[in-house]
Amino acid sequence: MKKSISFVLNGEPVRAEIEPHLTLLHLLRDELELTGTKEGCGMGECGACTVLLDGRPVNSCILPAMEVDGKNVTTIEGLIDAQGNLHPIQKAFIEHGAIQCGFCTPGMVLSAKALLDENPKPTEEEIRNAIAGNLCRCTGYLQIVQAIKAASNQ
Amino acid sequence: MKGEKRKVILKEKKVEIPLAKEELEVVGKQVIRKDGYEKVTGRLKFGADFDKAGFLHGKVLRSPHAHALIKKVDVEKAKALPGVVAILTAEDVPGRNGFGAIIPDQPVICGEKVRFIGDGVALVAAESEEAAIEALKLIDVEYEPLSAVFSPVEAMKPGAPKVHENGNLLTTVRIRKGDTEKGFQEAEVIVEQTYSLPFVEHAYMEPDVAMAIPHEDGTITVKGPMQAPFTVRRNIAPVLHIPISKVQCVQTHLGGGFGGKEDSSIDIGVRAALLAWKTKRPVRMEYEREEVTLSTAKRHPMIIQCKVGAKRDGTLTALEGTIYNEQGAYASLGPIIPPAGGTHAHAVIMLPGPYVIPHVKVDGYLVYTNHPYGGAMRGFGAPQVNFVHESIIDELAEALQMNPYDLRMKNCFELGSVTATGQVLDQSIALKETMRSAADQFEWFKRWRPPPSKEEVEKVEKRRGVGMAIGWYRTSIGTFSDGCGANVYVHEDGSVILHTGITEMGQGSHTVLAQIAAEELGVRIEDVRIVVPDTDIVPEAGPTVGSRSTTLMGNAIIMASQAVKASILEAASEILGVPAERLVARNRLIFDRDDQTRGVEFKEAARRALATGKRMMGQGWWAPPRPSFDVETGQGYPYFVYTYNTQMAEVEVDTKTGHVEVIKVVACFDIGRAINPILVEGQIEGGIMMGLGYAMMEEVLLKEGKVQNLNFQDYMIPTAMDAPEIVPMILEDPNRYGPFGAKGIGEMPNIPTAPAIINAVANAVGVRIRDLPAHSEKVFHAMRGRRG
Repeated sequence: MKKSISFVLNGEPVRAEIEPHLTLLHLLRDELELTGTKEGCGMGECGACTVLLDGRPVNSCILPAMEVDGKNVTTIEGLIDAQGNLHPIQKAFIEHGAIQCGFCTPGMVLSAKALLDENPKPTEEEIRNAIAGNLCRCTGYLQIVQAIKAASNQ
Repeated sequence: MKGEKRKVILKEKKVEIPLAKEELEVVGKQVIRKDGYEKVTGRLKFGADFDKAGFLHGKVLRSPHAHALIKKVDVEKAKALPGVVAILTAEDVPGRNGFGAIIPDQPVICGEKVRFIGDGVALVAAESEEAAIEALKLIDVEYEPLSAVFSPVEAMKPGAPKVHENGNLLTTVRIRKGDTEKGFQEAEVIVEQTYSLPFVEHAYMEPDVAMAIPHEDGTITVKGPMQAPFTVRRNIAPVLHIPISKVQCVQTHLGGGFGGKEDSSIDIGVRAALLAWKTKRPVRMEYEREEVTLSTAKRHPMIIQCKVGAKRDGTLTALEGTIYNEQGAYASLGPIIPPAGGTHAHAVIMLPGPYVIPHVKVDGYLVYTNHPYGGAMRGFGAPQVNFVHESIIDELAEALQMNPYDLRMKNCFELGSVTATGQVLDQSIALKETMRSAADQFEWFKRWRPPPSKEEVEKVEKRRGVGMAIGWYRTSIGTFSDGCGANVYVHEDGSVILHTGITEMGQGSHTVLAQIAAEELGVRIEDVRIVVPDTDIVPEAGPTVGSRSTTLMGNAIIMASQAVKASILEAASEILGVPAERLVARNRLIFDRDDQTRGVEFKEAARRALATGKRMMGQGWWAPPRPSFDVETGQGYPYFVYTYNTQMAEVEVDTKTGHVEVIKVVACFDIGRAINPILVEGQIEGGIMMGLGYAMMEEVLLKEGKVQNLNFQDYMIPTAMDAPEIVPMILEDPNRYGPFGAKGIGEMPNIPTAPAIINAVANAVGVRIRDLPAHSEKVFHAMRGRRG
């Protein structure tokens, strides 16, 4: 039986009628057509599906969509402003070579955003910790760490 | 040559060094990647992001048996399920029931027997994914299990279960140079060891997906993350029994490939195409992560016996090796593509390492088993054999009581050296310089000490050690068919379209290739748009593999650019009244090289060129110098140029637990010319991290043929916490056959990392790991074994 949920998605109120077992990832990708959030493993291990729930990073592939009722969800589509300007973290990712195939990038950027929102001047160790749940097979992570550091004006 | 070499430490961004001849505008610059904005905003559509509306959902029923005869397949119950549109079995394949990158020995749908756990025995298409999954459960297959074989050594024995009709030995490749018996007689020290390497998963982040769309006119379009769209097309046509010209393959951006999507895109593409063809409906297939790990190609596991002899002063006299290369159930990219293509030939050719050795004998056996199959994975057979030669060289150094650097320096390649295959290295070879530069940066001579005694190890909880490894890697694939084409179109506003079949999978090829076109034409990189590779549009390019894209396709693009540029210069000549030979095109301007005040905008010349009926497109086709290789003697010139690399690693080993932490890696490469240093740095760091995973944690675990670690919860790949400090360095010793002197970089960084780390572990705690991966438990037991 479908249930009704309401939440704020990228600053806009959203209502959805969903099956109780639907994951947030599938709600976003299949029902709301926001495909910036990726599915890499389907079991909360790779972090490609990371979105922010009330500012905290979560793996949307294992989160029942029911649980976002009344909360605030940010996806990669919500990071650029209305004029299409990039968030400073996104800019830094481009400038520092932190992107290769780009499949982990949305999740990685959101994990970085959650970190910098809470801790604007993180140490390198804190940066590594914050993205430890986001697997990247292309970059070797170092250019990503540099980008996040640069985005924090360090 | 010497004066033209540039040394660059990428981290320090010392890249703005004036070039030898003339200043380049686009090449050699830290140009940011063209797809960065699309990727960082999540707007770039990967295969799975395309609208699913109107597509049927395709699924594969997979064999639970490693080796079994199929007695009966009953599809009636599944067919009756609401929402099911088609259930296909072997007899439904209209053409050839087989696919494969080299030999089509893998059934699209198995009819008589299955050869590994994961083999496809039926295909389903249904209106919903749920119905497709339900239908799989209702297909009733009766199997008669056969005895299976899970080791290449066992599979070669007489009487072993036959995986394929013609026996299990698929290919034998040998090297015979000199007389190793004599070489070992001359040796004063001989080391002989056996090493083994595991199956490794590519673990590209984007799982495989394919969309097949049949058309009214009898053609079919297949879209998906294809590393080699032409190879997919070449397989779909015979399966559907239609000409190649009726099959269109369109690449979607790859979320990583690393060689894996050369194979897997054939597997999923052929099956999606077949379902679409039979149902006359668009079909979408997606493999889940577990299915990718279960059923697609992996890095070949190998067992390698190696023996090396040297004089007391370290001069190498002989090397012998036997490679048992496990192909698994299907041929994939293992066997020979004449003369020297395929993983197996490459592994044999690379086993003697970048060393001058007068007497060499290698026997390499590529053998079928009932395991998942080995295919292309970053390094293509080289990571395995590099681990062997770089381990045994260190073991030899220890036996000789030499610094392993000195032993390598004494024997490794330099200009004019002759390889084990008899190839004279006559250009672009700065291996020794990479050693010297890496050693300076790493402070090798200050930090290296002989390995410790047992007592020394026991004294402390954590011990540091250093290790090094060197390597070489081909640019090109060693086949007669290694050519590639490009089309360049200039428009009347000065903008440019480039058609290339080389795929973008994250490595940045479309940025680098656009840089080459922009440089050659004299426009800016933002003026060049690369059309997504589509086999209906772009010329044949061969596969995006073998570290060949920048060099081979770069040359084709230069040729194509020159052809169309001639028109533009001719038009400019008419405008300026200056002979075309005196004109230079740079940064959207065309000017007289003798009087730089006389010039015209590129777009104005382009407009005139079109208006006066001049040729507005250029074509280029480039193939490397013809390779040669004899599989019986291993003699020839298999690949036309090589990249060289030295890596030095520092590790810290916990002597109580065996845990290894990699502290630092210094890696110096001779890559001819870095077209885009920031992307080169990305290739180096990413490759090294993949090598670190190979050294320390990665292994596809198999039990009676069944993969035990199907997802990332137990198939570990490195995380940000595992990343050491990496100092990427490049040397540029120009390749005479390369665009602006370039040669390949994609695979080389992935190769010497594992032995450098393992040599550092041996240097830290005095134990040698000869079977990867060296996870904590293995290092711990090795240390305990040493303690007796």
